Amino acid sequence: MTIADGPALPKLIGERVKRREDPRLIQGQATYVDDIKLPGMLHLAFKRSDIAHGVIRSIDTSAAAAMEGVELVITGAELAEHLGPMPIGTPFPAPDHFSVATDKVRYVGEPVAVVVAEDRYIARDAADAIEVEYDELPAVVDPEAAMEADSATLHEGFERNIAVESYWGGTGVNPETAQPEDDSAVDAAFAEADVVVSQRMLNQRLAPNAMEPRGVVAQYEPGREYLTVWSATQNPHILRTLVAAMMGLGEHQVRAVAPEVGGGFGCKINIYGEEYVAAALSRLVKAPVKWIEDRTEAFLTTTHGRDLLGYIDLAAKSDGTITGLKARIIADIGAYEVLLTAMIPTLTGLMMNGVYRLPVVRHELTEVFTNKTPTDAYRGAGRPEGLYFLERAVDMVARELDMDPAEIRRKNFVPADEFPFATQSGLVYDSGNYEPCLDKALEVADWQGLLAERDAARAEGRIVGVGLSFYVEVCGLGPSAVVPTGGWEHSGVTVERGGKVTATTGASPHGQGNETTFAQMLADHFSIPLEDITILHGDTGVVKQGIGTFGSRSQAVGGAALISAAGKAGDKMKQFAAALMTDQEVSPEDLVFEDGRIQVEGAPEVSKTFAEVADYAYVPVPLPPGMEPGVSEEAFFEPENNTYPFGCHISMVEVDRDTGETKLLKLIAVDDCGNVINPLIVDGQVHGGLAQGIGQAMFEEVVYDEDGQPVTASFMDYVMPRAADLPVFELDRTVTPTPINPLGAKGVGEAGTIGSTPCVVNAAVDALAPFGVTHIEMPLRPERMWRLINEGGQS
Amino acid sequence: MEIKGEQEFNGPRELLYELLLDPDVLAGALPGVERFEEVGPETYESTMRVGIASVRGTYTGRVEVLEQAPPEAYRLRIDGSGKPGGVRADATVELSENGSGTTMHYRAEVKARGTIARLGGRLLGGVARLLIGQFFKSIEQQVDDRAA
Amino acid sequence: MSEPVPITINVNGRKRSAMVEPRLLLVHFLRESLNLTGTHVGCDTSQCGACTVLLDGSSAKSCTVFAVQADGSEVQTIEGLADGDELHPLQDGFWEEHGLQCGYCTPGMIMSAVNLLEENPAPSEAEIREGISGNLCRCTGYQHIVNAIQHAAERMAQS
Repeated sequence: MTIADGPALPKLIGERVKRREDPRLIQGQATYVDDIKLPGMLHLAFKRSDIAHGVIRSIDTSAAAAMEGVELVITGAELAEHLGPMPIGTPFPAPDHFSVATDKVRYVGEPVAVVVAEDRYIARDAADAIEVEYDELPAVVDPEAAMEADSATLHEGFERNIAVESYWGGTGVNPETAQPEDDSAVDAAFAEADVVVSQRMLNQRLAPNAMEPRGVVAQYEPGREYLTVWSATQNPHILRTLVAAMMGLGEHQVRAVAPEVGGGFGCKINIYGEEYVAAALSRLVKAPVKWIEDRTEAFLTTTHGRDLLGYIDLAAKSDGTITGLKARIIADIGAYEVLLTAMIPTLTGLMMNGVYRLPVVRHELTEVFTNKTPTDAYRGAGRPEGLYFLERAVDMVARELDMDPAEIRRKNFVPADEFPFATQSGLVYDSGNYEPCLDKALEVADWQGLLAERDAARAEGRIVGVGLSFYVEVCGLGPSAVVPTGGWEHSGVTVERGGKVTATTGASPHGQGNETTFAQMLADHFSIPLEDITILHGDTGVVKQGIGTFGSRSQAVGGAALISAAGKAGDKMKQFAAALMTDQEVSPEDLVFEDGRIQVEGAPEVSKTFAEVADYAYVPVPLPPGMEPGVSEEAFFEPENNTYPFGCHISMVEVDRDTGETKLLKLIAVDDCGNVINPLIVDGQVHGGLAQGIGQAMFEEVVYDEDGQPVTASFMDYVMPRAADLPVFELDRTVTPTPINPLGAKGVGEAGTIGSTPCVVNAAVDALAPFGVTHIEMPLRPERMWRLINEGGQS
Repeated sequence: MEIKGEQEFNGPRELLYELLLDPDVLAGALPGVERFEEVGPETYESTMRVGIASVRGTYTGRVEVLEQAPPEAYRLRIDGSGKPGGVRADATVELSENGSGTTMHYRAEVKARGTIARLGGRLLGGVARLLIGQFFKSIEQQVDDRAA
Repeated sequence: MSEPVPITINVNGRKRSAMVEPRLLLVHFLRESLNLTGTHVGCDTSQCGACTVLLDGSSAKSCTVFAVQADGSEVQTIEGLADGDELHPLQDGFWEEHGLQCGYCTPGMIMSAVNLLEENPAPSEAEIREGISGNLCRCTGYQHIVNAIQHAAERMAQS
């Protein structure tokens, strides 16, 4: 007997559902910040420093102010009357940092004055007409030289340009003193080791380069003392909190909107000076204002990523058992600490345990100011650096011992029965099962076949290498104890009249496809069609609370909040349904959602449609005792721990003997991100991550000259991976669910970026090993490779 | 960035040395120069217009002549700035006799800032070579005129 | 600034006349004057291709063309690609194959692909990768974009 109104609804979790975001995006109908036009809107342009370090002697704004169409020209010192120093989101000591420099400039691109004008062309002309004179100071460019006593310093109170110093190690850290309890074990491990590899490695500076540059529109309405800010941000709720604080407003007076956002990759987490300036100037000129970054500004002022120098020592027994790790890391954080700057390099040390049982670790970290663009999160944020250092070092030990790179890893894996596993750094890995993942990767790649192929190619005189890496990373940030903004996420689920569902999430996406995956989850939860669900996000006026999208947290934290809110809404629907079925003596606990109906489990004839129950909820006559009308529930989800996805990447490269050009022939990625909601989207996330990780290995690097002048400030000089640079990726996965959230999903946004970089460099070193090469610095530039082929040694 | 090269001239070294440090000659020979004034001992200020791609603009600069060793060598310190950014250069010029002619060796260490720096060697080197080429052609002409 | 000059451009099959400053870029004319904001700006050096449109049938980076240079031409943007409610096979391919994530490069990528398939209706994987090498995507790693273009090529071959 069929009672349902329509056909049975297929379960959608785990299906390759086409994205619901796409129709607007493929037809040019989406609204990004630069697409927003408000009546009377004015445009901002920034005059920026073209020197790396200096004291502002004078700023002449007269020519700019006299130009037709210019509303206001304001210098940093003048603006400081309206905006104080910018807040940061870490507990580390930080120097004052104003949105627009007040007296000293510390990197090329730092704003010194702002123009408000009728259109963007005039604003740019006027900014160009501002004359600034500086007393130049020596530029601090090299982070190691920056710590020397004779170096110029950027900030008062930060001797030798040191922002953060941390040290831990031994077999445990005393929580009282934060000092290692028994550091001697590290020295003993190295003294007793059969083999020690020591390598200085640079994890170079990168530009995140979301294809949409940053942008902001701010509208302050004096009559209602209310500010609306549209911004290309990953986290509108954090934007609201910080803009309100900077403007002397309460959060109830600010609405922050992240409209369509064209990629973030970490660089749109920070709340930037331009966002505060737009808000302040809108209030000052009593008109909406817009600022859109151009690509050169993006290279100069949007936060950079990575730039960690590591001195890595790894000790092992002759059978390949790893016995100790020492890492001394110097982070070149640029000129200022912005939102998460100082925190990112701390993740590197935390994650350098990798997938191995490491008996002893010593970790030293120094974060150093230089006259460069500030750093912050970039896809992977701290983990790619640590895993690169570790996976390179493990490879070097394998090479030293003439061991198979897969087998040395297998030998040192944390065994599956030791999870949850506490690392030396104090983390607890939630779940893991590394060996099956390694075996699957070896099988998909046909590892032995690859080695034979490499050897055959070498016999022909070709320069070919294979590489492998195995990573573990940390996702699902939270919990609140470790995320200064709060580590929870929020969601709201409303069942509307007619049985349609509107849900909100604070996990504000910018390409991740939450509108699709979250709808899949609700469709299954309520057993209603996908089309009956709308997911709203990115607007603090609509989404009551939230944190944002970073640290691969959308599913693991945001999805968990959604399911929690959906659970509450579902319970209420069942109560209303039971009330409609009083004559049948139905208890809410007996009811389930099935194909658009709410029915007694196993008895579809005792049911009401989802739609009629929803209608009843809004006209509840009679109102069931003890109940309020309507179904609109919300939930916060606070994770008790992070999740720790992992995976194995394998690659094959060939280097051209004559040109030094490296070609990536193959890349196989077997990732384990726990349960998967939408495999199509997960594959897309992995692909994108791989491209960025490969980009770091092979092409990308932000370069400054010795005066602190950036010489890679456009796509002409900063090499981004293009379609023809990449092979067809071969993906597979294993599934080890997390117990941390009800979905069992761990997060996948950053995985590809973390495993691929060391994997490709390991392959390149393997390719050049016959030339006596033991390490190659990134990126694998043709010139660098050619020199190694012809001169050997290290780069 | 380093810019260096050599150039052969027909005239004697003394003549060349004199011409290369004569403000009037320089004003005429440097491409796009709108103003070239002596503002102090061996110090000149100049306004120069460059019309090439992204480094297009008007530059004002100061040139100091140092370490003069006639007729063999001298050093120039140049500091110029304009809308697209600025350039600071330290240049040495050496003249050696070459039969009846003179060979000039020049070497400049150039430091740029602003757009000029960001475009780096890609443009700056080419622009510099172009301007230097025009300059030498003009000097050559004057040497020939004087020698004749 | 120079005096505005009159231009007439046929955009997506509609004649559009305007007085524009000679220095106005075509992309800004489309976005600001005509409100066709589907064409995006991703860089200022013609490297990224986000602003790609069809200019008299060939793909062109509209950030490198002055509006006055397009006077008298035909311009097609992403907004003019679908046939009424029916998506162009490339739009459909990008949707089917998850050829986009943040969507910012997508209009330019699709317009480049339109040109590619017109010149080469059955491109190999390598030819597709070469063909879209003037367009940067930071999200997808290009693999699903390649699949999307193959999907469209197959559909267009059938029809």
